Amino acid sequence: MDFDVIVVGGGHAGTEAALAASRRGASTLLLTQNIETVGQMSCNPAIGGIGKSHLVKEIDALGGAMALAADAAGIHFRVLNARKGPAVRATRAQADRALYKGAIRAFVEQAPNLRLFQQPVDDLLIEKGGVKGVVTSSGLTFHAKTVILTVGTFLGGIMHVGMQQQPGGRAGDSPSNRLAEKLRALPFRVDRLKTGTPPRIDGKTVDFSALQRQPGDTPRPVMSMMGTPADHPTQVACHIAKTSELTHDIIRAGLSRSPLYSGVIEGVGPRYCPSIEDKVVRFADRPSHQIFIEPEGLGTSELYPNGISTSLPYDVQLDLVRSIDGFGEAHITRPGYAIEYDFFDPRDLKRSLETSFVDGLYFAGQINGTTGYEEAAAQGLIAGINAAASALDLESYTPDRSEAYIGVLIDDLITLGTREPYRMFTSRAEYRLVLRQDNADRRLTEKGRALGLISEQRWTQFQRKIALIDARTEAMHAHWIQSGDPSVESLLGQALTHEYSLADLVRRPGISLRDLAEAAELMWPETEVNEQVEIDLKYEGYIVRQREEIARMQQYVNQLIPVDIDYDVIGGLSNEVRQKLNDARPETIGQASRIAGVTPAAVSLLLVHIKKLGGVRHRQVTAHA
Amino acid sequence: MQSSPDTIAAIATPPGKGGIGVIRVSGTLAPSIAEALVGHLPEPRLATLVTFREEDGAAIDQGLILFFPGTASFTGEPVLEVHGHGGVVVMDLLLQRVLSLGARPARAGEFTERAFLNDKIDLAQAEAVADLIDSVSEASARSAVRSLSGDFSACLGDLTEQLIELRVYIEAAIDFPEEEIDFLADESIVTRLNTITSSLDNIRQRASQGAVLREGVSLAIVGPPNAGKSSLMNRLSRQDIAIVNEQAGTTRDILREQLVVQGIPIELVDTAGIRSTSDAVEREGVQRALAELARADIALLVFDQSLGQHGVISAMGDLLASIGSALETFQGVLILVMNKKDLVRVDTGWEAVQDILSICPQINERVSISAATGEGLERLFDVIAQSAGLTTTVEGVFMARRRHLVALDEASARVRAGQAQLAVNAAGELLAEELREAQRYIGEITGDFTNDDLLGRIFSSFCIGK
Repeated sequence: MDFDVIVVGGGHAGTEAALAASRRGASTLLLTQNIETVGQMSCNPAIGGIGKSHLVKEIDALGGAMALAADAAGIHFRVLNARKGPAVRATRAQADRALYKGAIRAFVEQAPNLRLFQQPVDDLLIEKGGVKGVVTSSGLTFHAKTVILTVGTFLGGIMHVGMQQQPGGRAGDSPSNRLAEKLRALPFRVDRLKTGTPPRIDGKTVDFSALQRQPGDTPRPVMSMMGTPADHPTQVACHIAKTSELTHDIIRAGLSRSPLYSGVIEGVGPRYCPSIEDKVVRFADRPSHQIFIEPEGLGTSELYPNGISTSLPYDVQLDLVRSIDGFGEAHITRPGYAIEYDFFDPRDLKRSLETSFVDGLYFAGQINGTTGYEEAAAQGLIAGINAAASALDLESYTPDRSEAYIGVLIDDLITLGTREPYRMFTSRAEYRLVLRQDNADRRLTEKGRALGLISEQRWTQFQRKIALIDARTEAMHAHWIQSGDPSVESLLGQALTHEYSLADLVRRPGISLRDLAEAAELMWPETEVNEQVEIDLKYEGYIVRQREEIARMQQYVNQLIPVDIDYDVIGGLSNEVRQKLNDARPETIGQASRIAGVTPAAVSLLLVHIKKLGGVRHRQVTAHA
Repeated sequence: MQSSPDTIAAIATPPGKGGIGVIRVSGTLAPSIAEALVGHLPEPRLATLVTFREEDGAAIDQGLILFFPGTASFTGEPVLEVHGHGGVVVMDLLLQRVLSLGARPARAGEFTERAFLNDKIDLAQAEAVADLIDSVSEASARSAVRSLSGDFSACLGDLTEQLIELRVYIEAAIDFPEEEIDFLADESIVTRLNTITSSLDNIRQRASQGAVLREGVSLAIVGPPNAGKSSLMNRLSRQDIAIVNEQAGTTRDILREQLVVQGIPIELVDTAGIRSTSDAVEREGVQRALAELARADIALLVFDQSLGQHGVISAMGDLLASIGSALETFQGVLILVMNKKDLVRVDTGWEAVQDILSICPQINERVSISAATGEGLERLFDVIAQSAGLTTTVEGVFMARRRHLVALDEASARVRAGQAQLAVNAAGELLAEELREAQRYIGEITGDFTNDDLLGRIFSSFCIGK
């Protein structure tokens, strides 16, 4: 059988990749070890969070599934950073695992041009430097123009519980070792990473009265631009527990049997998601650490204690859990573990997520050194878009850093690589005030439309919203409040010295568009529209400044560096800069300039050298660059 | 590259009094800068006698202005040439005025780079352009370190650290809201912001007092103990500021003196006699002397020629043993000074010079003097002035320092805007944005600080991890 695109792996990267490719009209095959685990949340049962909901909403604007599935499965929604300003606000949903998986599975099954097949992949067919298909464990061969690998932590996966290890890609699933061996034989730079997961606990054995209750937000936020709270299932509360000195003593006593602290684990773990043993060792003076007790779903009593990821032996895990207030009688349903796995240096990828060494082969998700469902899904989406583009000769697309967090993610990965599992944070985005979760649709829907990724319904709804935003913005400038207007002056708490437009007044501190409209007796009920207009006006100065900065960067962004450039012959580059450029092999001058240690003078030398070579000038970075 | 969005400006002539100084401006703002500076748009390609004015109309200087519109210019962009009187202070005032009108200080070699990228220089010249950027960037890196000597550099270091710490705290609160770091409610943020703005004010004040910008070219005096370095310094500065004592090793502190040699401001640095020593205080002095040497534009290598050829060679050997590594990387002008001419009947020291040159080939000039009688000093001044004006960096330390001041002003404006955002709007993300920008400007002086560095600091400072 011949396909345009084969996606190997049915996780968050794989499903978004397959869905995006199929939406673009590519005949697509999704190969998974186990159809029952398609859309599985292997770690914590939550979607979104700081930096991450930005990704989710961008995926949504480009027609992806993650936000819709989160709305269908979310049992607890919160807005984080609500007081810290719209640019850093984020949405987080606790998801019912079964509902989430079900929603994703339904998307996959309903997608046109998409076939699902259950069989582990053992090998890639590669001819003349290009991928031609895959071979499964039972020897079946599938041919395709492009292949996307989204194999997560399954490559050479080893799970650790105490001093015991066993091969595995996730609890209950075997690793993809044959494929890992095959890939290691290719010229990719490969390294090991580590991540961990906490023990799961039976909620029936927990005394919730000893915990702090954390209800979801009212009004309840939604994840998808198409979603409404009516899509959400029954809502439940989360809880917060705390470790004690007793807990920490138990952990310290168990450290000699920790694979992390006895040198068994060689992979590098994420600094922002340390195991509980790491926290206790590194922050020894903290008397207590928070644990967020998250429900695994509506149909189960299992709990996910977020914050005590551990690879200590089972007996230590049990003791430490039971030392926590409210958990004295707790029963562990599944022990926590650490997992080590292979990842490929993402600096060996192009912006399209195609590998530099094998044409038509794409990598997305944890295989590229990232962590998190949202980061994986974002890469899957882009790999799917671009694999379909390559197979069908369509427009390719990778957002720029100034367009989307997805662009920041991919640019960081392919330019800087990573030494720990890469997670998105808002502080990674230099254009944070422009790249907000609330305007993801305004940034990307048109692009999604052009790429054939979004439905008519979404497009219509989007156009209606944009028209309203434009009209309301105009109205804000056109509507004048006279000096002496009693209701507006009482809202402002001061008299107006002359007439002001609503646009002027809404820029004042603490004044919301909603209150202002009410005081001016305007019937403007559309919350989302008001929000956009208000942010545009309040942030205007900053948005203008960031756009200027983007324009300054733009002259570099599109300046391509020849693929075969020899940094060793460029006079004047220091050895350090040369080394960095050789490691990163940046595709554009913009990327080169973001590598730490590459100075403006080095960038000048590069520009001059490229011009000398025959002037690769301001070409647009396009599909087959 | 045809339309670079920003307009650049720099002093295009070497520093020094007398003659004419030229400020070159390139970019789309060139015409509007000309209008604001002289009151009207000058006739293209026609030298016009004009008065350059401050915003309030006060005259800065009189001189010629030349305007090259469109792409018919050296750089391929609109170019303005402002010819003023060449004094350091006037040129600096003119440059400040141009920068205040929207230009930014040019990076080293940037005019030539633009000319090349806009096809104004042909391929054959390309190699030369690359060489220029290379040499200039090295030189400007050096002058960046150099111009940030002493207290100024230490202040800036403190400031950067305060800024980073504050950003770490605020960014951590933004990216990890569940770690219960509530900076909006934290009164200490206001205090910390105030500390940062007063540090910025303090640094800026020193700069405008001239300690930074007008200290000029730095001149270090090194040599073995008792070679007469302090006497020479006293001669140069005509004041008895160093402790002169016949017992070797009396100068343990770095002494500085500002002087003007033929119109060029020079910061004179006398260093402790360099020799191996077990005296802890003196060892510290030697370390500091080495640091001064690394930063200097010009170094005088002083020997006592009355020791005779063998004596001088052996002193040179000792000196190289202790400062050889600093000399290897030294990029400035090295002047060999044979002192105590009055104690010898003929210039016996010169016999040693050939040998010294073979040991230390970087020496650019050599002069024989007597610090005690003043003989030969005239010639030494000439050599110093020439080295300062002509042989130092292509870009010149003034431009490097002017860039630093612009960066400081921008950083200061950003921090103040952030303060206002916090006070008026309680807008944490806008404060964060202003501080990010402030750090970007400071980073132009002190070097990169990436998002990843920031995250690293967050992870090591806070116990993060939900």
